[in-house]
Amino acid sequence: MPLTVKPKNPSNPLFAAEVTGVDLSQPVADNVIIEIIAFMDIYAVGVFPGQKLSDEMQVAFSKCLGPVRPSRKNLRPGYKHRIDMQLSDVSNLTPGNEIREHDDYYRLSDLGNRLWHTDSSFKATPAMYSLLSARKVPSWGGETQFADLRAAYDALPEGKKKEIEDMIAMHAIMYSREKVGFTDFMQAERDLQPPVPQLIVRTHPGSGRKTLYLAAHAGEVVGMPLPEGRILLLDLIDHATQPQFIYTHNWNVDDLVIWDDRCTMHRAREFDMNEVRDMRRATVQDVAPTIEQEKAG
Amino acid sequence: MALTIKALNPGFVAKVTGVSLGEPFGEEVLAEIVSAIDNYAVCIFPDQPLTDERQLSFSARLGPLETTRRVNRADFKHRLDTRVTDVSNLDENNCLVARDSDRRMIAMSNRLWHTDSSFKKTPAKYSLLSARAIPSEGGETQFADLRAAYNALTEKKKQEIDDLIVMHWLTHLRSKTGFDHFTEAERAVEPPMPQVLVRTLPGLGRKTLYLAAHADHVIGMPVPEGRMLLMDLMEHATQPEFVHTHTWRVNDLVIWDDRCTMHRVREFGITEVRDMHRTTVSDVGPTIDQARVA
Repeated sequence: MPLTVKPKNPSNPLFAAEVTGVDLSQPVADNVIIEIIAFMDIYAVGVFPGQKLSDEMQVAFSKCLGPVRPSRKNLRPGYKHRIDMQLSDVSNLTPGNEIREHDDYYRLSDLGNRLWHTDSSFKATPAMYSLLSARKVPSWGGETQFADLRAAYDALPEGKKKEIEDMIAMHAIMYSREKVGFTDFMQAERDLQPPVPQLIVRTHPGSGRKTLYLAAHAGEVVGMPLPEGRILLLDLIDHATQPQFIYTHNWNVDDLVIWDDRCTMHRAREFDMNEVRDMRRATVQDVAPTIEQEKAG
Repeated sequence: MALTIKALNPGFVAKVTGVSLGEPFGEEVLAEIVSAIDNYAVCIFPDQPLTDERQLSFSARLGPLETTRRVNRADFKHRLDTRVTDVSNLDENNCLVARDSDRRMIAMSNRLWHTDSSFKKTPAKYSLLSARAIPSEGGETQFADLRAAYNALTEKKKQEIDDLIVMHWLTHLRSKTGFDHFTEAERAVEPPMPQVLVRTLPGLGRKTLYLAAHADHVIGMPVPEGRMLLMDLMEHATQPEFVHTHTWRVNDLVIWDDRCTMHRVREFGITEVRDMHRTTVSDVGPTIDQARVA
């Protein structure tokens, strides 16, 4: 047992813990990978401090958890990537490492990260894990908050659990961006990213726990009038992001935080846009669309 | 003091008894009511059985009354006087509206935090909501104290937002609820309106946020940035410590000050009647003009 685990929040001890005792820049043995996955099944968010990683090392470790998928930004014609092609660039920097202008297209699009979401829920097969490495952090703000959607599900009244049990929501990147008034998408991006169906309630395979599956990307509920579905989704997100379900992570350089996208939401908080925030994310794909998984389970 | 005022939420919500609002009463009692609203922002008057006529005549003593904006919907037949906003799930024949009807879809937006008529050039000053029939569970109204929320902002944030102007827009709700069946008359009569984001209340001179789901963008900011700022402020202002939940009883009349609160209704069963009648008192002028005068 090389790993040392310390829960971050005593009042929700089964959500978000710090992990030490492993160097992720080196090849990690299979039995340790198994231990990390078992840890993630329990805690959903793992904070690994002091992990000095190159892009290559981050990708190599991430691949131990499953197939790594590139950023959707590559679907936009003309997009220039600053870092390893297999990582998503969650920074406010241009390809030339300059801070992006106030009204820069990608800066405005990335403001959508300040809405509660889970990564890639707008893809038919969404993300299983995200691994975010802090390379440069601003002097204030820029925290990432995580919401425990298993605990949020558990806390729903029985009537509400029954009501939403078999519901399907349509997710699209355009839905979340429309919420912040960002509608500047090229036809190619729209064509390649149509809304996809996802369950609202799913069963987490590792823990067997039921969990909500929600995101700002969710724009309608199948079979409900549009406004009614939207309000239902808003109410559920409101419920799931109450203080008792939240862990707020204040970043240090070289933190690697891994979260389970199947049972959490997260969002970034405000920071001074004249300061550099350079975060790089590897995204590990889930095994199948949520509806197929539940049927198979 | 004719009235008995009991704080339910210190400095924010009070229960007021000792007056029958459906009967004639003197100017000094009216002054006490206005003073209670200045102090508390939300005043609950239990056991006030009111007809629409009586609700109208009492409301008119607080200022000029708004006409319901549903007059801009030729497709709606009015169940009530057009100076009474029909906050019910009933049609003109007192039958429950269909689940997917425009009436119900428009009412859905009342589940978003808002303040009444912020999308009008001169918005609302007070709303008076009378509970005539209520569902067996749910349908609570929640209120957020935007004065306390302003006070709790960091000094840096106060400085950042003190002079900002926000465009409020009825049809902006589309981006939130997806409802898009606005009539031409609604679009024409209700274009985007500028409102200050921080205002000073004339009564006690307190500063307050002025926010609503209708707030679309901030003048001088890229739209996504302004909207994110508005969302963050809405979230700040609706934290549990600023929120009071009112569980209705039949014949409650609740008066709130729209200049310094937001409110929203909570979910209730779709097969039960919820019949609430609202009268709305107009403010003295656009918020921007008020800020200039002060």
